[in-house]
Amino acid sequence: MASSQPKLTAINSGIDVKTTFPTARVKRIMQADEDIGKVAIATPTAVTMALQLFITSLVLIGAAEAHESGTNKITVDHLKQGISNTTQFDFLHDLVNNTKDD
Amino acid sequence: MDPMDIVGKSKEDASLPKATMTKIIKEMLPPDVRVARDAQDLLIECCVEFINLVSSESNEVCNREEKRTIAPEHVLKALEVLGFGEYIEEVYAAYEQHKHETMQDSLKGGKWSNGAEMTEEALLAEQQRMFAEARARMNGGAAVPKQADVDSNVES
Repeated sequence: MASSQPKLTAINSGIDVKTTFPTARVKRIMQADEDIGKVAIATPTAVTMALQLFITSLVLIGAAEAHESGTNKITVDHLKQGISNTTQFDFLHDLVNNTKDD
Repeated sequence: MDPMDIVGKSKEDASLPKATMTKIIKEMLPPDVRVARDAQDLLIECCVEFINLVSSESNEVCNREEKRTIAPEHVLKALEVLGFGEYIEEVYAAYEQHKHETMQDSLKGGKWSNGAEMTEEALLAEQQRMFAEARARMNGGAAVPKQADVDSNVES
């Protein structure tokens, strides 16, 4: 891997999920956007794989926050905290800030 | 970034199946770690947001290249631009494998039948070559914004 800092991501966490991701649904979500036109057959597969890596990363980050605060239950606050600490997840700031706290 | 509701089409229809996502999330975690219900919902919303983000950017890449169909290569470029360059290798492998699986069927017989099928060693070598290419593209390409790690020493 190119990165020199150890990052808790799907790639180096060795996590293997058995349940298949819903590629067809991913395609539907993509095309719900009016601006999106034609999509090659393999493209939803690519986006789905990226999604899998993304959610693994996000879940692990949430789990780390929960662990740090001494609990084994991941809450909205843990996700919010993890997201604000991760530059990669800047695009989620608006989404989480519009979420009600527990 | 929310596109206007299209007449006759609800944005709520375009979401990820809750049961499947709940199962997936559970599989990633050790058995003693749970997720609050509203946190589950938030995770799913984040996923949809991610799909929208990557789709939009892929669309822009596609337009800039003056193509009409969004190809997996556009997705790779979009990931790099968005700061998810570390995903490129696995995403590349995923759709190449998918392409290979679909291709193998059509390679049997027809004009490609002169030994076009690859042995496992050849496949592995091919995969390594592709990874190297993807890595080279990642390293030699535009500067990727610095990514924070879990312990976050970097301020956004």
